[in-house]
Amino acid sequence: MSEMEEKERVRGGEFDPKIVGFLCYWCSYTAADLAGVSRMKYPPNLRVIRVMCSSRVDPVFILKALLDGADGVLVAGCHPGDCHYQKGNYYARRKLALTKKLLESVGLEPERVKLSWIAASEGPKFAHVAKEFTEEIRKLGPNPAKKEFFL
Amino acid sequence: MARRGEPRVGVYICHCGINISYKVDVNEVTEFASRLEHVAVAREYKFMCSNIGQDLIIDDIKKYHLNRVVVASCSPRMHEKTFRKACQKAGLNPYLFQMASIRELVSWVTEDEREATEKAKDHVKAAVMRVVHHQPLEPRLVDINPDVLVVGSGIAGMQAALEIADGGKTVYLVEKEPSIGGHMAKIDKTFPTLDCSACILTPKMVSVGQHENIKLFTYSQVEDVKGYIGNFDVKIKKKPRYVLEDKCTGCSECIKGCPVSLPSDFEYGMMERTAIYRSFPQAVPNVFVIDKEGFSPCRNACPAGLNAHGYVKLISAGKYEEAFKLIMERVIFPASLGRACPAFCESECTRSLVGGHVRIRALKRFVSDWYYENVGLVPPVEIPGAQENKKVAVVGAGPAGLACAYYLAIQGYPVTVFEAMEKPGGMLRYAIPEYRLPNDVVDSEIEFIKKAGVEIVCNTPVGGEGKSLDHFFNEGYKAVFIGIGAHRERAMGVPGEELEGVHPSLLFLRKANEGERVELGDRVIVVGGGNSAVDAARVALRLGAKEVTIVYRRSRVEMPAFPEEVDAAEEEGIKIEILTNPVAFHGENGRLKEVECIRMELGEPDESGRRRPVPIEGSNFRILADSVILAIGQMPDSQVFEKEGLEVNKDGTLWVDPETLLTSREGVFAGGDATKGPSTIVEAIGLGRRAAEYVKRYLEEEELKAKPYEEHWLEAVDKEEVLKKRHYVVSAPASLSDLSPQERVKDFSEIEFAMSEEEALEEGKRCLDCAGCCECRQCELLCEAQAIDHHMKEEEVEAKVGSIIVATGFKTFDPSSLVQYGYKRYPEVYTSVEFERLNNAAGPTEGLIRMKDGRVPQRVAIIHCVGSRDENTHRYCSRVCCMYSMKFAHLVKEKTGAEVFEFYIDIRSPGKMYEEFYNRLQEEGTHFIRGKVAEVTDVVSSAEEEGRLVVVAEDTLAGRVRRVPVDMVILSVALEPAQGAEEIAHLMGISQDQDGWFIELHPKLAPVSTASDGVFLAGCCQGPKDIPDTVSQASGAAAEALSLIMRGIVEVEAATSHIDPDVCVGCQQCMKVCMYSAIDYDAARGVCVVNEAVCKGCGLCAATCPNKAVTLKHFNNEEIFSELEGVLL
Repeated sequence: MSEMEEKERVRGGEFDPKIVGFLCYWCSYTAADLAGVSRMKYPPNLRVIRVMCSSRVDPVFILKALLDGADGVLVAGCHPGDCHYQKGNYYARRKLALTKKLLESVGLEPERVKLSWIAASEGPKFAHVAKEFTEEIRKLGPNPAKKEFFL
Repeated sequence: MARRGEPRVGVYICHCGINISYKVDVNEVTEFASRLEHVAVAREYKFMCSNIGQDLIIDDIKKYHLNRVVVASCSPRMHEKTFRKACQKAGLNPYLFQMASIRELVSWVTEDEREATEKAKDHVKAAVMRVVHHQPLEPRLVDINPDVLVVGSGIAGMQAALEIADGGKTVYLVEKEPSIGGHMAKIDKTFPTLDCSACILTPKMVSVGQHENIKLFTYSQVEDVKGYIGNFDVKIKKKPRYVLEDKCTGCSECIKGCPVSLPSDFEYGMMERTAIYRSFPQAVPNVFVIDKEGFSPCRNACPAGLNAHGYVKLISAGKYEEAFKLIMERVIFPASLGRACPAFCESECTRSLVGGHVRIRALKRFVSDWYYENVGLVPPVEIPGAQENKKVAVVGAGPAGLACAYYLAIQGYPVTVFEAMEKPGGMLRYAIPEYRLPNDVVDSEIEFIKKAGVEIVCNTPVGGEGKSLDHFFNEGYKAVFIGIGAHRERAMGVPGEELEGVHPSLLFLRKANEGERVELGDRVIVVGGGNSAVDAARVALRLGAKEVTIVYRRSRVEMPAFPEEVDAAEEEGIKIEILTNPVAFHGENGRLKEVECIRMELGEPDESGRRRPVPIEGSNFRILADSVILAIGQMPDSQVFEKEGLEVNKDGTLWVDPETLLTSREGVFAGGDATKGPSTIVEAIGLGRRAAEYVKRYLEEEELKAKPYEEHWLEAVDKEEVLKKRHYVVSAPASLSDLSPQERVKDFSEIEFAMSEEEALEEGKRCLDCAGCCECRQCELLCEAQAIDHHMKEEEVEAKVGSIIVATGFKTFDPSSLVQYGYKRYPEVYTSVEFERLNNAAGPTEGLIRMKDGRVPQRVAIIHCVGSRDENTHRYCSRVCCMYSMKFAHLVKEKTGAEVFEFYIDIRSPGKMYEEFYNRLQEEGTHFIRGKVAEVTDVVSSAEEEGRLVVVAEDTLAGRVRRVPVDMVILSVALEPAQGAEEIAHLMGISQDQDGWFIELHPKLAPVSTASDGVFLAGCCQGPKDIPDTVSQASGAAAEALSLIMRGIVEVEAATSHIDPDVCVGCQQCMKVCMYSAIDYDAARGVCVVNEAVCKGCGLCAATCPNKAVTLKHFNNEEIFSELEGVLL
């Protein structure tokens, strides 16, 4: 990303983060659809990537997103016990916990990564999480990794 | 033609009418897309999903030799399949397509047009970058199993099942209730036609029951569903009915014998039913069922497994002989137990939580005394002829020995009991004082045992000086049971124990029981805290001692004696010195004079879990005493048997296998205090009976442990659950007038009085029937078809089906939480379903609309939207309440002529002839008051309101608050998803909306399909609806299932996992995490292999593989990385 583009992202003096959201197809992606159908407005910063199950989210995906310039990464899946694939979300939870530790050890704020349980019927919750997480990342400021780290 | 490998992408941006284009600058996005790498053509169109839109793609694929397609439009949930098909039509592999959602994820959720356009661009770019990496995948074709599973058999399930079965296909119809029919079977009339629900329903029920293509599983539940469209493996759990379906004729004779009374679920608790029941007379299948929820806590608590619930209920029904017979199946000495049993059953009785336990022990005494008096000392069983070659010798005529002897004797084994003492009875006779258990009761009960054929030989010690075990076997006895009790007293080991005036407790109690006068003097000290100590103290008092003190080394709570006995002792004036222990007895001329004691304190807990008493140095003191009774513990006289080759435990008890009670010597069994140490009569009897069973197995040369001792044993039911389900009034147990303590100590007459017959009948009725069925087995006697099997077990049936129809229906809202409506506070407030039963000819009032006091109501209020259209309960409209409320109004008017007031928010009457029905009601003079009811109250403010309920509501049309006095209030309650809907959703992989209703695939165009292919919805499980809509939807679901069957083959998702054998190191971590066991280890090659038929494509294995040998097709790392780069870079 050029410096010009980087400046563009700071509009009106306010930092405008880019956030990637990995949503499981059965619960959270459906919730995102429901938020849409219900015309709920949330900040445009979140870019959604569909996965079949939150357990598909390899920690590498999160690192890749952060290195490619995402300021925050959201992983959302079915509520504990509700996983379409029985217990994939429990694995997702463990993977995320470890990823956060890893981020900490390389000097990144673990808060840049968030796990949320959003059921298929929770359109409003999805909109809320999108809003809240955008705010949180805005407060954290730009992700330093994209300039300082590379693979 | 494009060069091989060179991607040529066509990008199509949809306006979706204006749904996308009102926020997203579609032209700008198209222009942007056209400049992206690999894009050969980019277009926008108003409706990409239309035929024209699809043709656009098809033509372009051909014209521009596209080998990749991206459509940016709605969610892939909507149209991914549509566009994949379009690609396929043009000869392109459907997986070379990617969708970008710019409606649900962009235009509908973004305020700012510029931001929306930018976001749409990102998503399009990501899709283009991703699609370049897509691989062609071959959709798998699978055969469709033509059998269908239908879950739920209300009108929806029945309709669907019949449609499919009539089409010649097999249906597995699973219903959790004992009968099919669902809610419609409870309804009296249906709106707006007012035709009788049963009249239109029952013919359908009969068709279902008789249809050769329908396999009906009632009282059953779907336990597990595995597999995928066309190939589901289903496990059905059949709950035990305890009535054989193929034998029961539905004659209903059985209910005449059942003493149990439970609230009927079918009648919403407004009627009682027996434990063996049929929900309603037209039930299909016409088979009874026994409501057995487990064992009652009382029964579960008894060490001898005595069915207290059973005999208590039989007594309450006046069936004394049957009750006695039931008792004798488990214990002997019932009259003695009825007096001296510690009654573990009573401490577990659920009634103790609501007024005090049922007097179970007293009831046992009542019925035993009644039997001996009215029937005689006759065993209530037929005893088969003796098998002379299978003689058994029993050593010891106490409760354990005699129990073993009795239960063997009544099965035809000749038994001889050898007793060392002068008379049989053991501790019952020699240790339990007369005032608790008179000896003549023991005498009668021993007579009774002799009548069963047990021979008792007294004055015959065994072992040591007496007969040896070898001797028995030489004399032809095939087995021996040792029940010698625990008669050897422990000594204290302190100086002065040999002094005159120091008595061991058992000897003392025996002398007292035999009527021998023991001179104790005025001051008596009893040492110990067990039952023998308390008994000895109370006997000492009755023998004339002036001052009796129990000295115990631990604290009061640690006393092993039964608390009620300790309390009674204190009432009688016995002092208890706790934390005190004698250290020496001092005498004068060989006779006791003083007891020297030391104070104790409690230290660390010992192996028994009780805190160990530790002496306090220097706290010694002396008490004057004329006598001391030592009751510090007993042990069996086991040494003699040690010499006979039996193993003996450290505490002096005989070693036995705890299950079979077999000692270390073949053919020799033992039980009671001899193996357990000092315990209770009921435990000894329990062990005696257990020994009888294993002695029998031994004699019959059966494998001893081939089957468990109790083949039929259920868990105790939860008391809190019982209290929730039963109707009861808090009541105290029958008071058995005790003598005053002063009178009690005068002599040895019995303390507790017997119960009168009236008291017994009343007391039995206090039983809450915790377990449901009490297993008195009266129904068995009445059933000529021999259809009853109390020991029936749960069954599991496996079925293979190709599709599933879920029709699990609804439940009604419980209005108790809306306290303002007075439900359950005022008897005349009913829910709509309760009122439905009140209206029904088969209901509690036989169809007469009557108040609880029998009066005909003159004014009736119907309150709409109870639990519906309310922020605090459910926001949705339950759709049927307006119409059924008006039906009620009509019926009330027709049947009683009462004035009816409908309190409504809005009247919802869309439907054929519905509005006309509303008009008719208005013409009939029903009062419609628009306004939400504030409260239903019995606080009256005028003469007219006197004795009535007042409905307070704001009349929003008249603009004033109204108070309407009425006699009866009907709450039109909301519909809610059925109990267990959540589990069904899990099993089937379908989603629920925020209210719990199942989500259909598309609210308009796929109303019966779900996100799980091959699973369809019918009826109220998808949302509230009336009967006509339910039936239509059920037919729709049946049509979907049939259409699938007719197709015979279906394509399933090809996006499964794949393991690259060149990279896999065979660590098998993927196997460990796979929830579907879809990965196998190929030992020959040392790699893991995915079974694609089983893989569901979640991708967990791909994320887990440390070597990245696993890829999830269509969601592989490359694809996701490029999508990431698309949105970020």
